[in-house]
Amino acid sequence: MASGEVILRGLTKRFDDQLAVDGIDATINGGEFFSLLGPSGCGKTTTLRMIAGFERPTAGEIVLDGVDVASVPPHERNVHTVFQNYALFPHLNVFDNVAFGLRRRKLAKDEVRRRVQEALALVELHGLANRTPRQLSGGQQQRVALARALVLRPAVLLLDEPLGALDAKIRKQLRVELKALQEEVGITFIFVTHDQEEALSMSDRVAVMNAGRVEQVGSPPEVYEDPATVFVADFLGVSNLMEAEAVGSGRGECMVRVGEFVLRAGCGDTAACGAVKIVARPERLELLSHEDQRENRLPGMVERTVYVGASRQVIVRLPTGAAIQASVTNTGDAEMYRQGKPVSVYVPAGALRVLASGPAGERSDPAVPASEHAEPSGVRS
Amino acid sequence: MTVTGIGARELATPAAPAGPEPVRRRRLLPAVLRNPWGRPRFLVLTTWVYIAWALLPVGIAMLFSFNSGRSRSVWQGFSLRWWWTDPSFSVFHDPDYTHALVHSLELAALDMLIATPLGVLLALGLARWRGRGSGAANGLMLVPLVTPEIVMAVSLLVVFTQLAIVPFALIHLGTGAQVVGQVTFSLSYVVVIVRSRLASIGPEYEEAARDLGATPIAALRLVLLPLLLPAILASMLIVFALSIDDFVVTQYMSSNASTTTIPMFLYANARGGTTTPALNALATILVVTTLIGIGVAYLIYTALGRRASTGEVSALRDLSGLETA
Amino acid sequence: MESRSHWRAFALPGVVWLGLFVVVPAYAVLAMAMGRVNFLLQPVPAWNPFGWNPGYVSKAFSGALPGGEYWPAVRNTLVYVSVALALCFAVGYPVAYYVARHARRTKGLLIMLLVIPFWVSYLLRMLAWIGLLSSDGYVNQLLQTVGITHPPNWLNGNPYSVILALVYGYIPYFILPVFAGIDRIDRSQIEAARDLGATPWEAFLRVTLPLSRPSIIAGAALVVLPMFGDYYTNDLISASPHTNMLGNEINLFVQGGPQVNLGASLVLVLMAILAVGMAYYVYVTARDARRFA
Repeated sequence: MASGEVILRGLTKRFDDQLAVDGIDATINGGEFFSLLGPSGCGKTTTLRMIAGFERPTAGEIVLDGVDVASVPPHERNVHTVFQNYALFPHLNVFDNVAFGLRRRKLAKDEVRRRVQEALALVELHGLANRTPRQLSGGQQQRVALARALVLRPAVLLLDEPLGALDAKIRKQLRVELKALQEEVGITFIFVTHDQEEALSMSDRVAVMNAGRVEQVGSPPEVYEDPATVFVADFLGVSNLMEAEAVGSGRGECMVRVGEFVLRAGCGDTAACGAVKIVARPERLELLSHEDQRENRLPGMVERTVYVGASRQVIVRLPTGAAIQASVTNTGDAEMYRQGKPVSVYVPAGALRVLASGPAGERSDPAVPASEHAEPSGVRS
Repeated sequence: MTVTGIGARELATPAAPAGPEPVRRRRLLPAVLRNPWGRPRFLVLTTWVYIAWALLPVGIAMLFSFNSGRSRSVWQGFSLRWWWTDPSFSVFHDPDYTHALVHSLELAALDMLIATPLGVLLALGLARWRGRGSGAANGLMLVPLVTPEIVMAVSLLVVFTQLAIVPFALIHLGTGAQVVGQVTFSLSYVVVIVRSRLASIGPEYEEAARDLGATPIAALRLVLLPLLLPAILASMLIVFALSIDDFVVTQYMSSNASTTTIPMFLYANARGGTTTPALNALATILVVTTLIGIGVAYLIYTALGRRASTGEVSALRDLSGLETA
Repeated sequence: MESRSHWRAFALPGVVWLGLFVVVPAYAVLAMAMGRVNFLLQPVPAWNPFGWNPGYVSKAFSGALPGGEYWPAVRNTLVYVSVALALCFAVGYPVAYYVARHARRTKGLLIMLLVIPFWVSYLLRMLAWIGLLSSDGYVNQLLQTVGITHPPNWLNGNPYSVILALVYGYIPYFILPVFAGIDRIDRSQIEAARDLGATPWEAFLRVTLPLSRPSIIAGAALVVLPMFGDYYTNDLISASPHTNMLGNEINLFVQGGPQVNLGASLVLVLMAILAVGMAYYVYVTARDARRFA
């Protein structure tokens, strides 16, 4: 009957003089894989710790399946956590670690044994029950931590950067497994991470957090394709953030002036007027030869090309002085992207997004290609 | 000199003339001592000379307990006379010696049994208790570690001889006062050792236990105490060693000959011309007992502590309570 | 989280103990210093601050100034402790540095050998030197074989012997924290200095030494504090009033009969001297904490 729905209302946490979480409102549906994504210090871990019960909210409600649990101590909440460094008890073996919570519930001996075996089977660790945590690899420890929390059949499972301590290859593999596991058990997962690729690839919905607030909640394509704020656009991948001036609008489109060039922008706040920010994802841009006469072009000069295997990141310096980054498929022909070559950057109207002007985030240097930025499906050829 | 080193210098001085800069090296040390890639011989020498200087006199003093003559400074041959074979003056037959030995062990056992639980509770309390009074309690705990022992000894003496109110009036100079004095300073060591272990364990095991449904007390009993066990056992043995080695407070708190401990006995007889090598035997017993206690503490700490990752050096640091200073 | 009172309850017995046997006795010393002697010439503390008699305290403090009655003891204390501290540094730092930085295979053994004196009874270590320095002891035998036929009298009022014994007694307390401090320094920081063109000596002087400074100060505090209250080293090695230190004066007055008020007053003198040192220590560590935070 526990559906695992979590509603946060005005959730606030203040440490001494510092506001860590600043009035969060969110509804996390039962059975959903929900991520809290944001840079370090944005309040995502504090939010998680309040849901777990380790921090008492300064204000606001945490409604779990219709009951406000804000002042229920952690051991009485039907919410369990996979800790960042797993916190497996070093003095207990795998079996006793997984049985720990069941024994607190005073379950019968064979019931404990049966459920521990079940949980270990679920994470494919049968046969390691007698090992101590130190004898396990990082990935195995992670699975024990999962089993230890899931064996209690929580309404909600909280995961605090559970993949952070693993190396890149295992991390990618566990990402797939974790999502599959969540679908199998059908429990609400609330997943905290600073890694956008993790959040985008696993979640049903993502909440992007910044400075103690939620900037946007949406499905991964929504937050990536339709960022609501400059921060979201900037935090999720390279966004080619530029200053522009909205000079007219109509038919759901907006004319923006960048330097002496006017472009049509097809999405975002197309009714805006005056100073705005415009963003376009690198993979949506096309590089044309400089003689091409299509509309919505910006002329420029190739400043640098970064070879990343499947694609090239080409950084083009515009006459306005701004740099714009385009990601082009590696076709084997590099001549066009040689340094110093004049090119035209074609910006499809449907890829150019207008954001009402606000303070830009800190990661706004498009000249630095992100090595691991997310690549949404369907853009690659 | 590495290539990067030259590069860095050229960067720092762009006006330098072209060509590789001549390597300047001041010749301060004679060639024998200057060997940058070999072992630093001067340091090796200093270290081993220091160690010889630190340990040899002690070794010699212990050796003299086997002297066949009465002298404690001139070697006259090997015998077990002062250990056992002399029926009235050997260390295990002379009642003055055996009494000091027994009383020392008594005090050490009492100190250990009182200071350890008191200190463990205090460490747990101080580590978690935030709020009014916790700062003062923390400072108070450090006072015995930073006060010269004679100050503590004099102040306790004044209290026990002058203050006729409970609880001071119930404790008299002698065993009672000696135990109180020893517990007072060993308490701080227990707190320091247990608390530094607590800090390296961190809060997350306890939080994990709470998350899995354990009450605060159950989390303490099932998770924290087992993880603290090596530190608790080690601090017990360290309290034992501190107690058995203590001189100043124990002497000030003593009443008469019946409350003489080994260190007090050594102090009183070390310069005496008539004292026999049995004194050296007594000192040897003291040292061997202490070192065995500390050795066992170290083994427990590293063996049990290995489960929760601790190195040789951090064990050493934890055990010597050095983090306080 | 929800109820924190049980943590305070845990701390309570220990706090009560410290209150009874640290705080109350500290006040008792003050009361004794401000007290009187009764008609039987027994010392009586003045528990009530309104009945304080500052006579002994002012006698002790003025006597501790140059030219005063206790000045020789204060001077001896300051000189012996300073020289002993300097020697501890001169010997202890290279040893700690070698074991932390250069010892490889022997490191475990060396650490053990450095720790052993820490736990060998101070009294036995003094006893050992009494044997060696006695008139027919090994030191004098050695001196005679190299032709010194009239060796000094080591054990009767010889300040050099006292300083030697202080260094011998306390140097382990200096070496261990300094060792731990140097051991904690990241090797790559020294390598970075070498890479940037520093000679080994410059790298030591500009990187290792400044980074180990907090531990040097900690080690110095660990040896200086007990040395200031030391009386037994002097009693055992010198047994002469010529080399008396402040601790000897206190011990004499407190354990020697009717002058307990004066002894307690001298404890206050000792604490006042240490307070100056502690203030400097707190200032330096606070500054370092700010700098390295």
